[in-house]
Amino acid sequence: MKNRGRTAFIVTYLAPAVLLYGVFVILPVLQAVGYSLFKWSGLSSKKTYVGFDNFKQLFHDDVFWQALLHNAWIFLFGGSAILIVAIAVAHGMQGESRATKALRSVYLFPNIMSLVVVAILWEFVYDPHIGLLTSVMKLFGGGATHRSGAAGIDTSILGSPTQALPAVIVTFVWFAVGFYIMLFSAGIRQIPQEVAEASKLDGAEGLFRFRKITLPLLWSVGRIAVIYLVINTLNVFALVFLMTQGGPDRKTEVMLTYLYEQAFVNSDYGAATALAIANFVIVMAVSGIVLRLTRKDPTGVSH
Amino acid sequence: MKTRVLAFCSASAALGLLMAGCSGGSNEPAAGGSGNGKDLEVVSFQGGFGIEFFQQAAKEYEAKHPGDHITVTGGPRVWEQLRPRFANGTPPSLTWPGWGMDYWALIYDNQVFPVDDALKTPAYDGKGTWKDTFDPSLLKLGEYKGKQYELPYHYNIMGWWYNPDTFAKHGWTVPKTFKELLDLCPKIKAAGMAPLTYQGKYPDYSIKGFLFPWVISIGGIKAADDAQSLVPGAWKSDAFLQAAKMVKQLRDAGFFEDGASGLSHTQSQTDFLEGKAAMIPCGTWLESEMRKTMPPGAKMAFMLPPVVDGGKGDPSAIMIGIEPWIIPTSGPNHDLAIDFYKYMTSLDKAKQFITQCGTLTAIKGSDQITLPPLLVEPAKLFRESKTVYSIQFDTWYSTLGNESKNAMEALMNGSNTPEQFVDRLEAAAEKVRQDKSKPVHTMTH
Amino acid sequence: MNAVISVGKKVLTVVALTAFTLAVLIPLLWMVLTSFKSGPEIFASPWGLPGKIHWENFSHAWQTAGIAHFFLNSLIVTVATLAFLIPIGAMAAYVFARYPFPGSKLLFGTFLGGMMFPQFLTIVPLFFLMNTLKIGAYSLYDTKLGLTIVYIAYSLPFTVFVLTGFFQTLPKDLDEAAMIDGASHSKVFWRVMLPLAKPGLIVVGIFNGIGLWNEYSLALVLIPSEANRTLPLGIANLVMVEHYQSDWGALFAGLVIVMVPVLIVYWVFREKIHETMLAGALKG
Repeated sequence: MKNRGRTAFIVTYLAPAVLLYGVFVILPVLQAVGYSLFKWSGLSSKKTYVGFDNFKQLFHDDVFWQALLHNAWIFLFGGSAILIVAIAVAHGMQGESRATKALRSVYLFPNIMSLVVVAILWEFVYDPHIGLLTSVMKLFGGGATHRSGAAGIDTSILGSPTQALPAVIVTFVWFAVGFYIMLFSAGIRQIPQEVAEASKLDGAEGLFRFRKITLPLLWSVGRIAVIYLVINTLNVFALVFLMTQGGPDRKTEVMLTYLYEQAFVNSDYGAATALAIANFVIVMAVSGIVLRLTRKDPTGVSH
Repeated sequence: MKTRVLAFCSASAALGLLMAGCSGGSNEPAAGGSGNGKDLEVVSFQGGFGIEFFQQAAKEYEAKHPGDHITVTGGPRVWEQLRPRFANGTPPSLTWPGWGMDYWALIYDNQVFPVDDALKTPAYDGKGTWKDTFDPSLLKLGEYKGKQYELPYHYNIMGWWYNPDTFAKHGWTVPKTFKELLDLCPKIKAAGMAPLTYQGKYPDYSIKGFLFPWVISIGGIKAADDAQSLVPGAWKSDAFLQAAKMVKQLRDAGFFEDGASGLSHTQSQTDFLEGKAAMIPCGTWLESEMRKTMPPGAKMAFMLPPVVDGGKGDPSAIMIGIEPWIIPTSGPNHDLAIDFYKYMTSLDKAKQFITQCGTLTAIKGSDQITLPPLLVEPAKLFRESKTVYSIQFDTWYSTLGNESKNAMEALMNGSNTPEQFVDRLEAAAEKVRQDKSKPVHTMTH
Repeated sequence: MNAVISVGKKVLTVVALTAFTLAVLIPLLWMVLTSFKSGPEIFASPWGLPGKIHWENFSHAWQTAGIAHFFLNSLIVTVATLAFLIPIGAMAAYVFARYPFPGSKLLFGTFLGGMMFPQFLTIVPLFFLMNTLKIGAYSLYDTKLGLTIVYIAYSLPFTVFVLTGFFQTLPKDLDEAAMIDGASHSKVFWRVMLPLAKPGLIVVGIFNGIGLWNEYSLALVLIPSEANRTLPLGIANLVMVEHYQSDWGALFAGLVIVMVPVLIVYWVFREKIHETMLAGALKG
């Protein structure tokens, strides 16, 4: 009786989603893999087959490695900052006081805003003339500009070769941390009530309790968080594109801003799709490594 | 419950779909013949002076040629819409795609129709050939392998700008040489202004405003031509090194506005117009670009970048840039496109353009009118100049162009030394030389 | 001693959390504050209060800058996308959750993989695909319809993922019971299961809605013309292209206008979002 029209049902109900997804997501992906084997300007139908040349060129491309390094910095520094802040805030948010209730209402604000708004807002925060940050810095005697290093580089924050990337990372953390706070809040909620109670009775308090009980039990959430971080930091685009366009002098270049340049400025679509594939492979590889490395958690439970 | 959910979903779906589908895109299919005449689609970049002039010209042409129908559309980033149309083989008949379009990639891919034959035909008013109506130094910039692909319409002159009232008030004279500049700058600083500012976010202003003028002043036009022609070693010639050192000298002396490296073009130009800085490199589009936001009473005047004392180069050398129009190969009605463009480039229309839009045109004799005041000096300098040149390497070789911008940015903010700077440029030029797929251009004078 | 430590810890916690809250709120408050100032005021004192409230910044942004138009475009696209995305996603999720078949895990995995794709992997071919697909003489490129279809397709992975989790939590014998009563598979879905999944639908609707409202990268490539431009693109355009930088007040007002609908929706549903995301976020 359960089989009454079961197959028909499955097909009908899956069809719209599979069709849309297949045509507009999967098909372009396959085409992208195809384009990467050609030299194509994207401005005409003239395509020349070049095999793996685009990939070879990518491997020898300094800009690509520079961009990848910047993605790595964003992952390591931005990621660490996010993890630390998220766990701390999630932990502190567990009470039911008015303060924590208020905090719960606002922590997601930055994350739900358009990246465009975030990028432009923070561009103004860093602006040498009207900026929020710079006026604070002026209070402390700093300037909108500064002379750093022996060469006396004299620039604004987003125009500074040394300060631009950290500034972008700060903005990224501000924007993204809300989601991870939510993730870790969920994780903390899941800690079985009995464990929490029992540990309290045993006298485990505050930081000690946090380190020995809470933290290990957050392991599985932590894994998910790190995977999300890998994806989001390796695929960051809009924020960098809008704030610095990869500058100054490629000091904030990331893989996807370089991809945009290859496709739409250098008219080299083959190189662009080769880069996109490399980006995807790196994301999968790093995620895979993270999953593997974090298989065993400190409580001895393997995943 | 289910019926309500379903009803809501279908209602909003239908509504949404209806609105999404009805509100048009801008990818109208190329119009077929309507009436006796032919149809022409013209797409133009929309900049400081808009596209009204071209739309007006279209109406006038229609009145003179009943039956023909011309539509002119445009936008500030119109090349983005044009790119897929070129790839699909459905471009418009006549277009000025704007600075974001890779013209040369189009030309290499045979997407641009060469107009040499058309140039040999009579001009719109019948006097002489069409080719004769153009200023040859500007026409030359659109050539490739002996064929004419790009057609100039208006052109810009690049130089420095200063406020004549401020200079007069303080008794400063416009510096004609680098030494005079070095003497003047401390006086400007003492008056509480930054001597120079620049559009830090867009290093090509600095390349055109500082680097190349000084390269030419030191090493003659050949130094620049060799570099643009990718002659080995040209990018780290002595001329380039010295020019880079001059930039460093200005920076070390504190003569650039604080924080300029992070300023956009409108921000730095506003600073100049507000009197925070005394001089700024820019093109003859400055006034039309800043018209709406200029502080009242702001004044500007054009000057050539100061030349190097004892330099080899022609002190009257002047930098220009054309804004190219093209006729796409796959566009319909080439003949009508050519004829309409002939109309646009007739002497009367060209003169009208200058008055209405405040920019000079490539048509000989079009500047023999009462020019808008800000164009008088640049036009005079252009007429008297013995060496007219243009920066084209960045459109010919986009990777070299990108690297030159990055390197210039690094030079301007001090993170690269002049030696590092020229090494980077030479390395980037070498990469292009090695890339056999890139056609080679030569620039000569 | 212990009392001191625990008070000290409490104080530390309060301080840290307050600092965090301030870090979140201050840039946003500054943005709102600045949107009420006049141009010269913005330059003169970034921190100061405006002399008077310059409401005209908002009308400038709304009318002169054409934000009303972009707002409408975003609204149309977002509503149209959600209207199709939710039923289609729910239908597929239901099958994945409760109708296993050979290959269903693989298919589900393919949908999940979509969440990991850099959208840029597909932007180039998508660009040309949209130009090739024609309805009559018009291609889908640079149309709200085309953008809607693409948005639906790209929102499916997340939607299917979350809703599958929801459908899986519904009691296993529920459909058995309903079908004994003679209901067909589809009747069970629409009459029984979907209503029960309402919290999930709401969450998915809201999160997708917010994401769609804010979407930038795909629209950047697929919508070049001003006629169809969505709000995030419109704002970015104002800054980058139209050089509205001199009308700082209107620009900030524009940012506020973009931000407000999202904040309102979020505020209204904040408790529900918090609760249901906590429940759903950990599956998988």
